[in-house]
Amino acid sequence: MDYSISHILRYKYKNLFTVISLTILTFLLSSLFLISNSIKYELNIVLDQLPDIIIQNQKGGIKTLVDESLVYDILDINGVKDVKSRVWGYYDFKKADVKFLLVGVEEFELDKYDVNNTSILVGIGVRDILKKYYYNDYFNFINSDGNIKKLYIKSNFDTVTKLESNDIIVLNKDTLKNIFGFEDSEATDIAVYVANKSEIPTIAYKLQDKYQNMKIITKEDIKTGYAEIFDYKSGIFLSLFIISLFTFFVIIYDRMSGVSSEQKHEIGVLKAIGWRVQDVLKAKFYEATIISLSSYLIGIILSYIYIYIFQAPLLKNIFLGSSSLLRNVDFSFVLNIDILFIIFFLSVPIYIAATIIPSWKLSTLDADEVMR
Amino acid sequence: MIKFNNVTKRYGDLIALDSIDLEFKKGELIVLKGVSGSGKSTILSLIASLLKPTQGEIIVDDKKISKLADHFSSSFRRDNIGFIFQKYNLIKNLSVKDNILLPLVPLNLDTLELENRLEIVLEMFNISHKRDIIVKNLSGGEQQRVAIARANINSPHIILADEPTANLDDKLSKDFISILKDMKSLSKTIVVATHDPLFFDLDFVDKIINIKNGKLVI
Repeated sequence: MDYSISHILRYKYKNLFTVISLTILTFLLSSLFLISNSIKYELNIVLDQLPDIIIQNQKGGIKTLVDESLVYDILDINGVKDVKSRVWGYYDFKKADVKFLLVGVEEFELDKYDVNNTSILVGIGVRDILKKYYYNDYFNFINSDGNIKKLYIKSNFDTVTKLESNDIIVLNKDTLKNIFGFEDSEATDIAVYVANKSEIPTIAYKLQDKYQNMKIITKEDIKTGYAEIFDYKSGIFLSLFIISLFTFFVIIYDRMSGVSSEQKHEIGVLKAIGWRVQDVLKAKFYEATIISLSSYLIGIILSYIYIYIFQAPLLKNIFLGSSSLLRNVDFSFVLNIDILFIIFFLSVPIYIAATIIPSWKLSTLDADEVMR
Repeated sequence: MIKFNNVTKRYGDLIALDSIDLEFKKGELIVLKGVSGSGKSTILSLIASLLKPTQGEIIVDDKKISKLADHFSSSFRRDNIGFIFQKYNLIKNLSVKDNILLPLVPLNLDTLELENRLEIVLEMFNISHKRDIIVKNLSGGEQQRVAIARANINSPHIILADEPTANLDDKLSKDFISILKDMKSLSKTIVVATHDPLFFDLDFVDKIINIKNGKLVI
């Protein structure tokens, strides 16, 4: 081990370059895997909470409001466990150039969210943006008729994930209808809950058959939609991933083919003074392990710091879009052993092999021949 | 005891040694003389099992070393041979201490044992004051002392020296002769390959063997 450490230090500039290259590669791969994984984790939690089926009204192919009275008809369909009309919409806060998601709750649910007819509950992202514009205690909504509706800000949302609650404002359903100018009987859409999850496609088919003009969306449809968006973004990064791997293999190739005459001579000397092949390989193994493992660990730690402490500047914008609200999302810490293993096997053993193989080739030759 | 029985060594078409028979007794100091390319260094490499003969057998202490597998050749060298190379073959960017201790690295000896052995050879070859100096910063004579110390660190009973004075001035060459005498007094078998006349009139040399074109000259 002492010999291996001294060997690393003797070629410190070359080894430092290798460590930096490997660290950057590990950092890049790890950051991409982790950020994509964190977003999928957040999204899965959010999507799992969605209703089994959502019914939207449309006219001329454009989404419009739905009549709340449909709820009672749908409840009569066999297999439907529960039906709720949902009132929600996006409020355009022009000063900050962001959209808040307003979600209306029934009168009897207000206590659950700690709000009343004159207050709203806001997500962390909303709170931070409102504070920037000095709305610390209340916010003035502009109704569809142009009047101002003043509502008091209560507290922050405490939901399962930060992504879900970040841009949300929860308020009384009637107040929301008033802000958006909905009729009393109108809702944004209808949420359907099915008793037996395997029956969702059948119920969706029945609903589509019954309401030909409406758009029936299952939870699976939404999941697929999100997956496509992130797969597209992941595809862009797959290219980066391939470039990184290519760079890595160039380094490896250089290492395998470029054993310097000085190093070659050193292996010859070691053999001449009594080192066996396994002694040389052991020293080279320690050397390669120290370099690759330290690069791997530094790269992984840096990527965790980059994502979970600094919240992945740059990459976050690319994955989550340019909305300032989404940029406020905090990534939740997820320790994914699979990712750590994949990156480990793509870097450490390959580098060790690339160091050991040329040394093994040289050390199996006669010492006299190697020293020449 | 070192014995060559009808040993031939070829490098491709070139015959370096041609059917040689030799015998060196334990504790003897033997000088192999001859011009460059005569085959002296090849004899040393064969004794050290750095090379394998093309034909014939080499016996060291009743063991046939001519057919040893690589693994056993290395172990044989480590346990029996101290080789002083013509160009010293030190690792230039390691310290004196680290160079001398290199043969012992695979043995995983404890620090105290390493220090004891190191102190003995540093003192014996008068190089203690340079212990932590990087070898490339030493003079030729000092580098040779480090090479000699390294060759003795594992207490071998056979010392091989290839053109030991080729890179030394008169004074340093005489210093080496003095060291050689000291090593002989420790009952080591010493084989020196040289064309330096300085070795040919030494009273403590047991045998001088003349080699020409890979053959012994009688």
